[in-house]
Amino acid sequence: MDTIKLKLIYPKWNKLPGQTTFNLPPHGPVAFAATLPEYVDISFTDENVEPIDFDEECDVVALSMMLTTQVKRGWAIAEEYHKRGKKVLAGGISTMLHAEEMVNHVDSVFLGESEGRSEQVILDWKNGCLKKIYNFMGNQPPIESVGPCRRDLYKRDLYNHKGVQMVDLFNASRGCRFSCYPCAVSYLGGRKFRPRPVDKVVEDMAGIDNNRLFIVDNSLAQNKEWEKELFTAIAPLKKKWISHTIEDDPEVLDLAAKAGAWYVYQAVYDTSDYIKERVKRYHDYGIGVEGTILFGLDNQTEDDIKRLIDFLGEIDLDLAEFTIFAPFPHTKGHDDLLRQGRIFDFDWDHYNAGQVVYQPKNMSPEKLQDLYDYAWKSFYASETQESKMFRLFCNVALREMEEGTYRQRDRRLINKSFGRDVDRSVRNVNVRTESQQLKLN
Amino acid sequence: MKVSAEYYDEIFPFKGEWDMESSCGLKIREIDGKKYVIVTELYQDNPGTSVTYAGRKLADQICEAKNLKLEDIVYLECTPNTNSKLSFYDEEYFQVDFFADMQHKYRQLSKEEVMRILK
Repeated sequence: MDTIKLKLIYPKWNKLPGQTTFNLPPHGPVAFAATLPEYVDISFTDENVEPIDFDEECDVVALSMMLTTQVKRGWAIAEEYHKRGKKVLAGGISTMLHAEEMVNHVDSVFLGESEGRSEQVILDWKNGCLKKIYNFMGNQPPIESVGPCRRDLYKRDLYNHKGVQMVDLFNASRGCRFSCYPCAVSYLGGRKFRPRPVDKVVEDMAGIDNNRLFIVDNSLAQNKEWEKELFTAIAPLKKKWISHTIEDDPEVLDLAAKAGAWYVYQAVYDTSDYIKERVKRYHDYGIGVEGTILFGLDNQTEDDIKRLIDFLGEIDLDLAEFTIFAPFPHTKGHDDLLRQGRIFDFDWDHYNAGQVVYQPKNMSPEKLQDLYDYAWKSFYASETQESKMFRLFCNVALREMEEGTYRQRDRRLINKSFGRDVDRSVRNVNVRTESQQLKLN
Repeated sequence: MKVSAEYYDEIFPFKGEWDMESSCGLKIREIDGKKYVIVTELYQDNPGTSVTYAGRKLADQICEAKNLKLEDIVYLECTPNTNSKLSFYDEEYFQVDFFADMQHKYRQLSKEEVMRILK
């Protein structure tokens, strides 16, 4: 088979104003790339860290999109390639969420997971019979077929901040047995938790040239026995990792800590003692906590949100991330608000979870926006987000030093941040502080 | 979040978005010569597309299976009470008018209206 040159693109999106931006190496494109046959020669561009060279030689183009805020940019990219006579394929999470519109902008839409399926798409393209839709929704491939990602496609220097390599994203499972109100994962990946075989996870993880990972599975707390087996098996790798929720069980937390749990994302949805104790229990095991706080659900009043913001000061979170509820398609939240006629903004660029796109039940959109801005300002008033992140980073570096796995910062990149020059002058420091202050005010 | 069987007379399997295998609860009632078709979201027992997202596609499949005409029925969507602690899983009924514009497509039914239909 002749070599086929495929241009794989991860479109950029507008980052939320005023927040510290870290670009992590995206997982979707390299997971898809791993499912392509060997005769496909892939050139990968993450537009968040480098511009696209539309005139780079290629036979066919593939867009991999995760966020709703990427889709419009993806369509603009497809248009550019169409002008050059190239066929454009699209896949990934937001392709699946916005498939009805996506078919109008690209030549072929891939729905579902690509293991064992992508070669057929390439062959159809080569034979001039590319289908408009490849539909594998609800028909997941065997979880055993999920293999290592093509991380060799990353330009690693572009995911480096002042000499520090960003974490690699990793999947230990797919699907989710929960179907939470604002979430579309059960639609996308099936309403069933599908853990990868532990031996495969260990082999895959061991092969990653990065000691720091982000296990991006929706929740590891879905199958306690698998979770315990997983943590026991990965402990000897001495990796340090971030994840979403871990089972609230002393034995599991102990195993997680020994397996390298660095910090977890924990939803803080009320001001209960349970939440307070939950955060404390993570800390008792040396695991950091980034609280994720969602504003704008129908059961929240202005006072509830203000109480929640005050509560954060009492529970010793290491970091906090605030989001505004966004009614993404294929969620119950979307269905409810649609029926009630409360969605007033259908511009997908605004679905960034930092902007109100619907009429909240108990307050005006403006008030919700103000409370969201106030939450960021309030939480990071005494210590900036970057400073709190640095403290978490120091925690992990110390643990790595104790275990002999610490890697020195890459001196070549000490004055670079995601491929761009860092201005270390005093004036620049002041400007940063000022811009953060502006956001806070 | 199991949905009580009281909400439906039968489980109706349908082809959802992108032909995904999907299921909803179904009740059909006749009141004063008018057919009321009530579809209920099954949450965890619906492996595919929600009844709201499926919308007209689901209504057409029910009409075909039950030998009904869409213009002759009153089509209701029900999000059932799941006894969740979260208020957004409370029971609600909406009448859907597939021939209206987006603003007038859904109308929430009062408790009295629901009682009258389901009595």
